[in-house]
Order: sequence, then structure tokens, then C-alpha cells
Amino acid sequence: MFPFTYHRPTDLPTVHALLGGNDEAKLLAGGQTLIATLKQRLASPSDLIDLAAIPGLAGMSREGDTLVIGAMTRHADVAASPLVREALPALAALAELIGDPAVRNRGTLGGSIANNDPSADYPAACLALDATIVTDKREIPAGDFFRDLFETALEPAEVILKVIFPLGGQGAYEKFPNPASRYAMAGAFVWRGMGKVRVAITGTGQGGVFRWSEAEAALMTDFDPSALDGLWLDGDAMISDIHGTGAYRAHLAGVMTRRAVSRILALG
Amino acid sequence: MDLTGSQRIEAPREEVWRALNDAEILRQCIPGCQELVQTSPTEFTAKVVLKIGPVKAAFAGAVTLSDLEPPTAYRIYGEGQGGVAGFAKGGAKVWLIEEEGVTILNYEAQAKVGGKIAQLGARLIEGTSKKLAGEFFGAFALLVAPAPVDVTTE
Repeated sequence: MFPFTYHRPTDLPTVHALLGGNDEAKLLAGGQTLIATLKQRLASPSDLIDLAAIPGLAGMSREGDTLVIGAMTRHADVAASPLVREALPALAALAELIGDPAVRNRGTLGGSIANNDPSADYPAACLALDATIVTDKREIPAGDFFRDLFETALEPAEVILKVIFPLGGQGAYEKFPNPASRYAMAGAFVWRGMGKVRVAITGTGQGGVFRWSEAEAALMTDFDPSALDGLWLDGDAMISDIHGTGAYRAHLAGVMTRRAVSRILALG
Repeated sequence: MDLTGSQRIEAPREEVWRALNDAEILRQCIPGCQELVQTSPTEFTAKVVLKIGPVKAAFAGAVTLSDLEPPTAYRIYGEGQGGVAGFAKGGAKVWLIEEEGVTILNYEAQAKVGGKIAQLGARLIEGTSKKLAGEFFGAFALLVAPAPVDVTTE
């Protein structure tokens, strides 16, 4: 690691003061990507601003027709939460599938979506469930939040406070993890409710998470895996690397989507 | 890894060609370029900060123009060392086709990274290269002719 100055502020104004005008400062949430990157010396921020001591950033609550999850809530806490398991079981199941126990016990919702890794799990849930990302400056619909590979709508000094998930409908997440990293080779979050269907694909697209609109249209007509017969993504536009070709990932994403649809049908 | 694309630029070919050889315009278009100094008509030294997600590495290196066929085509090649992060090199064959006052810029680019950055980022190199190439030619079209009409990447 290169040397840096560690800060552990206890309120947001101090975070803003530390971030203000300093391009070389980085926010630290769970650190499950950032710390690994620092250890490899692939980044050298001047300052790390740990959000762990800011009150009110972690925790889950039900507010009306929504489930609100604080940005610093750990994956393991989401997975184990009776509230999430009851209100949004597909999200609890997704959190259970992220990484390994170390990642789940340190990694956070806010950290995951701010990084927008193209193989991360949470972005698929946010997009399929039409979540709203609340920052210290504004509210951003998930559809506008995830921009491109590792790119979000966040401004340099903007801090995610919480994510609001609307409740209702039925959802399921199916993923094919890379056996070593547990990152999604392909993951599909399917949701249906109020006459709508949303399909969000992660791990597969070169620009990160995306909505598969052709599959959504087919499932709106007939919510059954057979509605997707002959429908596949274009392998040329998908991530291709040592773990799998674009065509392989395109096929996997199609299979995961069909499985998620079957799982929702099994819910009754 | 190869990527190809084309960009329609609302400007005559001569003008596009001049811009392709202008250090100041190139500096503004190369993603993360902090400094580009011309050392000869076809050689430049460059400082580029590559930022992909959590990774942020500064590369120092050289940019060379070759196979010049004014005003239609050349090859642009860059190579840089990023210290412990590894190295990055990439180039593009660029050729211009004039169509009724409008120029179609075509490119065939290659990118390679090695060292630690490649180990960590193996799954991301193609997507990143595509994104960087798109940013470069997109910014270029905007600078040369303020409103690009069509962008295609394949």
C-alpha cells in the first residue's frame, strides 16, 4: 500500500469538508474492492474517509410501501434480516449470494452500487425493483443511476445515504457465479407486478448492468419461460475475458432469466 | 483485442486531418491525458491517468504517429509505463472518407495491458478499451465539429 491519511468522521458536514475540492480523497464504505485495490498499489488516494462512524447510515426499516436500507448496511445483515426476508425475500436471497463470508460481513449496499462493478449483484436488484438512490444532494431513480462500466450518476463529492425499494409484486434473482470470485458471470433479476415486468442483467454487459427490454416485452405477453424461446442476447456486445466469451455469457444470462421466471411462477 | 468503429464528423476532411495532427486537440481527447508534449512532427511524450473503477494509475509514455498518408490516414500508437501497476499500450489505424462535406472517421484499434493491472482487470479490459476508444473519438468529433450526428461502435 501507498501511504494515506485515514479519517473517521462522525458527521456528514465533516465528510463534506474533507472531500471538498480534494480529488485525491476516497470514501471508504466496506472496502471490499477499494482495500484490495490499495494493497495491489493500483490506486493511491491521499485520504481515506471512513463512513463507518456516521450515525444513521446503517439499518433497515419499512416505511409505508417501501423498504429502506441504509447505504452502510452490510450484505450479511440484509441477508439475515427478518424484515427483508419477509418484505423482499428476493433481495435477502441476493445478499446471501454476494462474494464470500468476509465480503458479506464487511461489504455494504452503498459501496457496491457506488462502485458499479459490471459483475456486482446489487445493481441488478436496484434496476429490476426500480429503487431510488438517495444521496446527500438528491434522489436518483436506479434507471438513471447506473451509467456505464464503473460509472454512476454520482458527482465527485456526493454521498449515498440510503436506497428505497418499492414493495409489491414478485421478484427472483438467479446467478451463475464465477467459482473463484463469486462475481456473477451472469445474473438475472426478474420482477413482475402491476402489469409490468422488469428484467435486469448483471455480470454480462460491457457497460455494466442493463435492462433486457426484449425479454420484458415477451414476458409481459406471457409470463412463462417458454415466452423467451429463441430469445437470446447478442454475444458480441457482452463481456469477453479469460473466464468466458461474450457468447457464453449471453447464453448464461438467458438461462438465468428463464430460471428466475420459473422461480417466480413456483412462488404461486 | 481489436475494436472497430466509425464516427461521422460535420467538417471537411482537411480540417479533420489537421485536428488529428494537433497536439492540443489530441491532449483534450485522450481520456485522462494530463500532458502531451510534441517532440517532433510525429512524436509526443504523454502523461495519462487511467481511472477504471477503484483503479487509478498514472502512466508516462510516448505517442507516435506513423504510416502518414495526408489527408486520409495514419496510425497512432501509444505506450506507457505505470510503475507497479504495469504497462499499457494501444494504437489505432485511422482513415478518413469524405462524403459531401462531411467526414467519416473510421478506426481499428488495439489495446494491451500487462503486469498487475492486467491480472486484476482481466475481465474488464475489453469493455474498458471500448469505452476509452469511444470517449476519445466522441470527444474528437465534438471538438472538431460541435454536434456529432451519428456514433456507431461494433
